[in-house]
Amino acid sequence: MNPNEPNAAGSEAANAEAVTSAPVAVESGPSYLTVTKTISSWAFTLDHKRIGLMYLVGVLGMFLLGGVFALLVRTELFSPIPLITPLFAADPGAQADLYNQWFTTHGAIMVFLVIIPGVPAALGNFVLPLLLGAKDVAFPRLNLGSFYLWICGAAFFVYVLFNGGVDTGWTFYTPYSTDTSTAVIPAVVGVFILGFSSIFTGLNFIVTIHKMRPKGMTWFNMPLFLWGAYSTAVIQVLATPVLGITLLLLILERTLGIGIFDASSGGDPVLYQHFFWFYSHPAVYIMIIPAMGVISEIISVHSHKRIFGYRYIAYSSVAIAIFSFIVWGHHMFTSGQSTTMNIIFSGITFSVGIPSAIKVFNWIATMYKGSLTLNTTMLYGLSFIFLFTIGGLTGLFLGVLSIDTHLHDTYFVVAHFHYVMMGSGLIAFIGGLHHWWPKMTGKMFSEFWGRIACTLVFIGFNLTFIPQFVMGSLGMPRRYYTYQDKFEIYHQLSTIGAYVMALGFFMTAFYLLQSLASGKKAPTNPWGGNSLEWHTPSPPPLENFHGVPSATDPYELDHFDYDPVTGNYSSRTSTGTA
Amino acid sequence: MQLLNSLISHMTPLATQTGPSFWLPAPVSNFADTVDGDFYFVYWVSIFFLVLITALLVIFMMKFKAPEGQKAKSQNDHNIILEIAWTGIPVVLSFMMFWYGYKGYVAMATPPSNAMTITAEASRWFWNFTYPTNGASVPGASEDFNEIRMGLRDGSLTPEQAKERENIVLEKAGLHVPVNTPVRIKVLATDVLHAFYIPDFRVKKDCVPGRIGELWFEATEPGTYDLVCAEYCGQGHSLMHSKVVVHENQESFEKWLAVAASYDETLPFAELGEIVWKRKGCVSCHSLDGGNKVGPTWLGAFGSERQYTENDVAGSTIVDEAYIEESIRYPMKKIAAGYPGQMPVVKLTDKEILWVTEFIKSLGK
Repeated sequence: MNPNEPNAAGSEAANAEAVTSAPVAVESGPSYLTVTKTISSWAFTLDHKRIGLMYLVGVLGMFLLGGVFALLVRTELFSPIPLITPLFAADPGAQADLYNQWFTTHGAIMVFLVIIPGVPAALGNFVLPLLLGAKDVAFPRLNLGSFYLWICGAAFFVYVLFNGGVDTGWTFYTPYSTDTSTAVIPAVVGVFILGFSSIFTGLNFIVTIHKMRPKGMTWFNMPLFLWGAYSTAVIQVLATPVLGITLLLLILERTLGIGIFDASSGGDPVLYQHFFWFYSHPAVYIMIIPAMGVISEIISVHSHKRIFGYRYIAYSSVAIAIFSFIVWGHHMFTSGQSTTMNIIFSGITFSVGIPSAIKVFNWIATMYKGSLTLNTTMLYGLSFIFLFTIGGLTGLFLGVLSIDTHLHDTYFVVAHFHYVMMGSGLIAFIGGLHHWWPKMTGKMFSEFWGRIACTLVFIGFNLTFIPQFVMGSLGMPRRYYTYQDKFEIYHQLSTIGAYVMALGFFMTAFYLLQSLASGKKAPTNPWGGNSLEWHTPSPPPLENFHGVPSATDPYELDHFDYDPVTGNYSSRTSTGTA
Repeated sequence: MQLLNSLISHMTPLATQTGPSFWLPAPVSNFADTVDGDFYFVYWVSIFFLVLITALLVIFMMKFKAPEGQKAKSQNDHNIILEIAWTGIPVVLSFMMFWYGYKGYVAMATPPSNAMTITAEASRWFWNFTYPTNGASVPGASEDFNEIRMGLRDGSLTPEQAKERENIVLEKAGLHVPVNTPVRIKVLATDVLHAFYIPDFRVKKDCVPGRIGELWFEATEPGTYDLVCAEYCGQGHSLMHSKVVVHENQESFEKWLAVAASYDETLPFAELGEIVWKRKGCVSCHSLDGGNKVGPTWLGAFGSERQYTENDVAGSTIVDEAYIEESIRYPMKKIAAGYPGQMPVVKLTDKEILWVTEFIKSLGK
């Protein structure tokens, strides 16, 4: 038995002590939501919870906007004949241009404004200091600065929407992006600013996790969400500057014609792809690693069982973060990159699959002999495991050089990355939102509608993207405004799926908003979690905790008694918290 | 490995199939067997793990479902044997996948020395193919194939008529290759990124400005197949189709090649000019009906006054023979006001330029 392994038998003594010194949730005094009420108290707040909540509102607003564009794209593709673009433009060329702007806008908004900031900035800001028993992040002013940079970046995107749009695809590939007459520069400036928002958040989280852990919390009894947040923050700080430089070069190329990406001036368009993916491949893991952290919390807490293989999950997050920097070339297998490079990148790519597989198996083992509460949050957690499994397995096809030659730039790739980014990243974000909703708002949402909405999202998602795998491997290229008739049935199923999914999301928005108005008051610990955020009132007071908390064992989950009247899990009197 | 290979070949429906299967298009090149074999290997491994994981999820959901407040039956949180198993097995399997992919890919990346070379040049939004033996330059004819497709869809063409029209177009267009002959394709791009993709052959290569890409294949079944652009290139990306014709034998291919690039020079110049307009891709950007596309319409263009910018300096000229020839040979020199200036250099012969000029004249002043 590994003596460092946190397990039931080995750490019991330590737990008893930790639990004894766990803070007592005193349900009195104003919460962070009610302590001040002016608009400026929100606009200039340094409280990580308020900043997190403002991020959340922003990210969800952008999710709605990006989702509308997704529905426009899917509606248009219901038929190979122009369907809704003629409502906005008379000329056939302009109709195709409009479609190209829609899918670009959808992709750019979802990647840069929703998924990248979703878990780290919105949920992370709220939860991270609570998990650490801290009063705030290390640099609260920088944190507010990150938020306003995000707003500023989002404003550029909204400006682009009303000023000619952008039609390059979210990747801004040269030479198309240096040649098109659409509003590339404002969009790129927006992404550049968002990059800094992301870097500052990452920096803040790294310092906070290093310096502000409570007494008794070693690296290896941090909640796994913190391992995810930490790995993500490292990627944000190291990779995002490369994106910034690349985008500056793109702006210089467009304005001054410096020629670095222009073949006729001795530059190379493929160089842009190398620069871009050197950031954007790690960025995929900025989207997925924190999501994995959320899932580790959800599966363990709602199974009321210790997380299985804590160290393996923690190390695999770090491993993924490291490997993510050396696989970027697998986006360019067909670009004319040398055969040797392709072989090396293919080999390394498979190494990313291993830590992902380890995580999935450990989550499943966590459920074994657990006591599974199949509530909305857990259903999102289970959906994640299923969808992420498909996302991961279909990634194998694309890592195999011979198969990728056929599948590259087809709908198979589109379906694959939607399973990873949306089916995994975004589903974990929505799952985490439900998990921490009672803590954030002090209200319980409707479990009945929650489960129905989750089921709709799950069914709709699979209906949207499974047909895309089939048409992709049959040879349907991506980013097509019109297509051959043989693909029509797959596109129609996919569009129907998108509407089912949209219905699920609208239902979610509705019952969550409804819970704010008339939801049941949330108890301190509605799910039976033992990380520190469940030891302070819902919603927490401005200073997070009454008194100075010290570490608990976050996965010591069997010493709670459930009170069906209040819906609260409270520590047994024998553990001495009374 | 041997055992596994034979196992895979039993699981895959390759041997008997020439048409598309549920997952993959028709396997009609020398690479189809390898790529499809690798595909089905990964596919069955994936199905196995997906079924395993889903079954465990569902069983655990049913078996360990409990009302709020019930204690878990166990708090066991580690098992080193399991960890080793679920790390080791994926390591072995993914190495096998890498290995198969590597073997298959090296073959795809290495054209045999006796391969016939054809150049495929991609421009917004048309293909042009150049053949080595007589230097014949043949268009991709995207517009024609799209018209046929739309005609089929709205019912103005029966499938038979569509096939007939397609054959007429293919007499002077498309990528033609003989069956069972190694063919090397040099891929070029004149403006932005494109990608040369024949799904039925499982081959794809990006066309990158300033680079010469290459791929090769041996078509194994005579017939007509789709060739598409797979890398996003703007407005006409989804219409940038052409066809690959696999001839039954070398003779049939050579017979086609001899007449493919020729014009029926007994026709009036203006009619020949219209053929050039279609064949050389002018059609994708210049309309004949006054409609605005990426470039100015040709209707009433001749003799009209044209505002332009040259090196960011505005100017104007009357559209005459000299201006037309200059615009064809140096398309980015004078850019018509109000247009993005995206015209590629389309290499026309002196005769072709003459015919196009006569054609534009015939469209009225």
